[in-house]
Amino acid sequence: MLLLGAAFVLLLVTNIATFYMLRQTAAYTAIENHGHRTQIAGWQLVSLLTDAETGQRGFMLTANPAYLQVYNNALTQIPSVVETMDELIADDPELSPRLERVRSLYEARRTLMIDTVNMTRQGRIGEAVGAVRSGHGKALMDAMRLEVAEISNAIDRRTEAATSAATSSRQYTTAFSVFAGLLIVVLGIIGAGLVRRQIGDLLKAQRELDRANSGLEAEVRERTSELVRANEEIQRFAYIVSHDLRAPLVNVMGYTSELERISGKVDALIAKLEVEHPDTVSEDTALAIREDAPEAIGFIRASTSKMDGLIKAILQLSRDGRRELTPNELDMNQLVKGLVDAVAHPLSAGDGRVEVGDLPSIVNDRMAIEQIFGNLIDNAIKYRKPEQSLLLAIKGKDLSGQEVEFEVTDNGRGIAPKDHERVFELFRRSGRQDQPGEGLGLAFVRNTVRRLGGSITVESDVGEGTTFRIRLPRTFAPRAL
Amino acid sequence: MSNSVKIVMIEDDHGHAKLIEKNIRRANISNDILHFDNGEDGLNYLLSDDARHDSSILILLDLNLPDMSGVDILTKVKGDEVLRRAPVVILTTTDDRTEIQHCYDLGCNVYITKPVDYDAFASAIRQLGLFLSVIQAPTISAE
Repeated sequence: MLLLGAAFVLLLVTNIATFYMLRQTAAYTAIENHGHRTQIAGWQLVSLLTDAETGQRGFMLTANPAYLQVYNNALTQIPSVVETMDELIADDPELSPRLERVRSLYEARRTLMIDTVNMTRQGRIGEAVGAVRSGHGKALMDAMRLEVAEISNAIDRRTEAATSAATSSRQYTTAFSVFAGLLIVVLGIIGAGLVRRQIGDLLKAQRELDRANSGLEAEVRERTSELVRANEEIQRFAYIVSHDLRAPLVNVMGYTSELERISGKVDALIAKLEVEHPDTVSEDTALAIREDAPEAIGFIRASTSKMDGLIKAILQLSRDGRRELTPNELDMNQLVKGLVDAVAHPLSAGDGRVEVGDLPSIVNDRMAIEQIFGNLIDNAIKYRKPEQSLLLAIKGKDLSGQEVEFEVTDNGRGIAPKDHERVFELFRRSGRQDQPGEGLGLAFVRNTVRRLGGSITVESDVGEGTTFRIRLPRTFAPRAL
Repeated sequence: MSNSVKIVMIEDDHGHAKLIEKNIRRANISNDILHFDNGEDGLNYLLSDDARHDSSILILLDLNLPDMSGVDILTKVKGDEVLRRAPVVILTTTDDRTEIQHCYDLGCNVYITKPVDYDAFASAIRQLGLFLSVIQAPTISAE
C-alpha cells in the first residue's frame, strides 16, 4: 500500500516537473523571439537610414530626382520600424534609455538629411556639401550603430542566459524523470515480489488448512469408529455378563428347590416324630422347620426370580442393540392402527379410546418402530388414572429438514418433572410402584429411538397426563461402518 | 436306550452337572454318566480307544466351558469319522438364535436351553431323560 502510494507520488511529481519544464521552455522561446524581432528592427532602422543617406548623397551629387525617390522611400518606412521597436522594448528598463537615444539620434539625423536635401533643391550645393563634410551626420550614424549594436548585444546575452537556463532545466527534468522512472521500476519490482510472497503465503495457508481439514475428517472417522467399537464392546460385555450370571443363578434356584424338597421331607419326618415320640420334638424345632425354613426359601426364590428378570432384561436390551436394522417404507397410519388393535381388548375392558391422527409415512425398521410405539401405548394403558376413562391421542407431522415428529399423549397419572430423565433410565421407574415391570420399557424406547437417529422427550406433570414427542428422520440410513 | 449306552457329560459347573444327573435319574435313566468338568479332558476321553471302540455313547455338551468352546468340541466330534454318529445334546444357558442355528449347522442333534427357573429346568431335564429312554443310539466303532 505504502509502496503503491510512493510510486503514485513519484509519477505525479515527474509529471509536474515535465509540465513545468515545458512551460519554462515556452517562456524562453518567447524571450528568444522577442529579442530576435527587436534585433531585426534595430538593424532595419540602421539599414533604412543608410539607404536614405545613400539617396540623399546621390541627389546631392547628381541632382537626379531618381535618388530622391530612394531617399523618400526609406524615410517613409522608418517610422513604422521605430514604432515596432517602441512596442517591443519601450517598457524594458535596461533597453528603453538606449531606445530613447536611438530615437533622438534618428530624429537628429533625419532633420540633418532633410536640411541638406532642401539646400540641394534650392541650389545651395556648396552649403549642403559643407554640412556633410562637417562629419556631423557620420557621427550621428556611428552613435546610432553603436546603440543598436549594444541593444543587440544585450538581447544576445539575455537569449543566451535563457537558453542555458532552459537547457539546464531540461537536463534536470530529464535526469529527474529518468531517476523517477527507475525508482518506479524498482518499486514495481519490490511490489511484485511482495505480492508474489503474499500469494505464496496465502497458498501455503490454504494448503495447511486443507491438510488440517482432511486430518480432522480422518480424526472424526477414527473417533466414530472407536465409538462404534466401544459401543459394540459394551453390548458384548452386557451379553456375556448377563449370560454368565445366569449359570450360577440356575444353581441357586435349583438347589433352593432341592432344599425345599428336603425341607418337605423333614417336615413329614417331624410330623411323624411328633406323633410317635412327642417328647423328642421341641416347639422351636417344629416352628423352624414348618415356618422359618419355607419363609427363607421363599425370599431366596423371590430374589432370584427378580434377579433373573433383570438379567433377562439386560440380555434383551443387548440383543436388540445388536439386531440388524433394515429400513422399509412404513405406512404409519396402518402400523399404529395394528398396534392399537392389538390392545383393543385391554382398552375396552377399561373403557378407553385411542385417537389416531393423520401420520406421515417414514422409511425405517418396522420392528423397532413397532416396539417404540407398542411400549408407549402399553405404558399409557398401564399408568392410566383408575377413576377416569383413558384417552390416548397419537399425532404426527412433517418438520422441515427431513424430520418427522410424533406425539403420544395420554390423560394418565403423569410423571413428576424431577423424574422426567429418570424414567428413561434402565431399571428406574416413577410414581407408585403398583404395576408389574422392570423399568425397562422407556429405557428401551430411548435406546431404540437414538439408534434410529432420532430423539425422544417427555412433557408431563403428576395428574396431568403425559406427552411423549419422538423425532425421527424421514428416511433412516443405517451407518455403514 | 439300552443300558450299554454311556452318557458323556461335559459341563464345567458342578452344580449344574449334579442337578442334571439328579433329574435324569428321576426319569429312571440308569445309564452310566461320565462327567468331565473341562473341554480338554472330555475331548481326550472321546478320542480315546475306550470310547471309540465298539461302544454306544451319547454326549451332553455345555457350550460355555472355561478352556474351550463347546462349539469346538461339537465341530471335532462331528468331523470325526467314528464319533460323528454319536448323538450330541447341547445343554446350555445360551438361547441366542444364531448360536442355535450354528450348532444345528454343525450337526448337533438336540439343542436345549437350560431354564433358570428350576421347575422348568427340572422338567426339561426329566423330559430329556424320557426322550433318552426311547431313542436308539448307534454303536460306533473304528472299523
